[in-house]
Amino acid sequence: MAAMTHGFSLYDWLTNIGRGAVRWAIGWWMVLFIGAQLAVLAFSPSSYRREAQGVVLRQIYQAAGPGLPGFTSLMALFNVVVIRIVVVTAFAYGLPRYGLDAVIRVLVLELIPLVAALFVAVDYSIPGGTQVYKLRRDGGFERLRRQGIDPLSHEMLPRVLGGIFAVLLLALVSCVISLVLAYIAIHGFTWAGLASYNHAVGNIFDPVVSMIFCMKTLAFAVAVALLPVATALRDLPRRGSGASVELQGLVQMFVLMLTIEVASLIGNYY
Amino acid sequence: MTAVPPEPPPPADEPPGLPQPRAGAPLPDEVPRASWRSLRNLEVRAALLLILMAVLMAGSVLYLLWARGAFETTQALYLTTDDSDGVVVGMDMSFSGFPIGRVSRIELAEGATVRIQVDVPVKDAHWLRSSSVFTLEKGLVGAARLRAFTGLLDDPPLPPGAERAVLRGDVSAEIPKMVADARDVLQNLNRLTSAQSELALTMAQVRGFAERLNSAKGGLMAAITGGEGDGRRIGELLENAQQLMRNLNSATARVDGMVKRADQQLLGREGLVGDAQAAVRQLDGLLRDARQTLVKVDAVLTEVQGVAGNAREATDHLGDLRADVEASLRKVDALISEISGKWPFAPTEKEVKLP
Repeated sequence: MAAMTHGFSLYDWLTNIGRGAVRWAIGWWMVLFIGAQLAVLAFSPSSYRREAQGVVLRQIYQAAGPGLPGFTSLMALFNVVVIRIVVVTAFAYGLPRYGLDAVIRVLVLELIPLVAALFVAVDYSIPGGTQVYKLRRDGGFERLRRQGIDPLSHEMLPRVLGGIFAVLLLALVSCVISLVLAYIAIHGFTWAGLASYNHAVGNIFDPVVSMIFCMKTLAFAVAVALLPVATALRDLPRRGSGASVELQGLVQMFVLMLTIEVASLIGNYY
Repeated sequence: MTAVPPEPPPPADEPPGLPQPRAGAPLPDEVPRASWRSLRNLEVRAALLLILMAVLMAGSVLYLLWARGAFETTQALYLTTDDSDGVVVGMDMSFSGFPIGRVSRIELAEGATVRIQVDVPVKDAHWLRSSSVFTLEKGLVGAARLRAFTGLLDDPPLPPGAERAVLRGDVSAEIPKMVADARDVLQNLNRLTSAQSELALTMAQVRGFAERLNSAKGGLMAAITGGEGDGRRIGELLENAQQLMRNLNSATARVDGMVKRADQQLLGREGLVGDAQAAVRQLDGLLRDARQTLVKVDAVLTEVQGVAGNAREATDHLGDLRADVEASLRKVDALISEISGKWPFAPTEKEVKLP
């Protein structure tokens, strides 16, 4: 309002930009720092004692178990449609050799990890982050500390591990189903094309592509599992748009996923 | 673990949040009274998911390793060429459309040649023989293809580590030549279709011919000859030809009657042919008589031949007699010469005086 009242001030504008940049850098530093703390906790045997182990296992199941059948069914349906379109188009243009290549590269390498990450984010991570935010806002962390329980290892680590596991499991199951459906769509219910199919799959998954695929899926999983929880520990400034804290975290997560996807595409095709 | 920021004060106006999560660990003091069995059941399911994850991951890794031929024994084949454009590590080498090898390494060798190492599984190596030919084909669409051809499967198998040259076939390399040829064709076409070209002049003449053909001044003949009165003359000529044909028809009728009469005279009952047949019969009798006469003449000639033989013998005897007479005459001649050389018949002067 000051700018509107007194006109444009270059000093205020630059100051706002500088403050925004500092907040942005501090925010990402917080995310990295919390992520590092959680990584240390994840690799500490003390985090998997009897009581903590049960919490982690329950979070893993709640992250992946309920959504697994629905997501797998929907992805199978989506896979059938896309595979059919790509294969029929490739045959129509006289390029059947490239049909399987396109299917695997589009579905398995690119779409399935992205969709699995988004599904876990919407189904599990973001609601979990909201819950952590409310718990912290209501003083739950202080109560946990008074009881001698570390909130990071008790509240956040199981959610992050559950989110990572859920993304990896959903992506892996859908990839396997997609490969099977692609074989059936191209060769039908016969074993005759198995040798050439295996050869084609082996050609696509060369060491570089396989490594990028694994790293990308893992990065998606970490981003989806970590960002909502880490955002819940930050006091994000209110923006003029009135967007909620969760929504700002969601935007951050999408930006990070987009960056990961672009980096993987550059690694695969440039 | 002290990095966790302190709890913020509860906001006065809470932003619109996402729906409440169904997942999440409740606080220790808010744990619902779930039975130990249900918690245990939940943990077992989670463990099953972990096991499923581990199995799928291990299976995927093993499958990819197997699909890439990590568990196959291979033998190396080195292909040399002068240009490795289009060749990438991991591409297949096919034989009759089936991949039987995979490029595992590309390097520059001595002599500025490219050395391509192809790993051929041992179970497929028997398709490659010492006389096999290897080609590198690069089409307009798609990647380059490395192919092997074996004409004689009875030849000795290709030994491990063998080195062969690659024959290159690059369609894109032909494009500049095709473009140059196409440019020449287009230039020729432009010359053909230009306003001053022979084709245009010919077409103009054809057009003039067609105009003359379609005009009412003489029609086709006038168009051909160029004279307007030629059409009329052609019409008169046609009438004359028609009259000539009528005359020819009448002449033909008369000739037909003449032929009929000649036929009667030749082949009729009193015709010339009957007389000729009688004459031939008489001639046959005459010939038979002549043959008998000739037989008699033959006998006479045989007798004459005997007489001639006797005359030949007599002639031989006459030759001997003549030789004796000639010998006697030569002796008499020699005697006379001897007598004439002796006195008083000898000449007195023996010298010859030259003038």
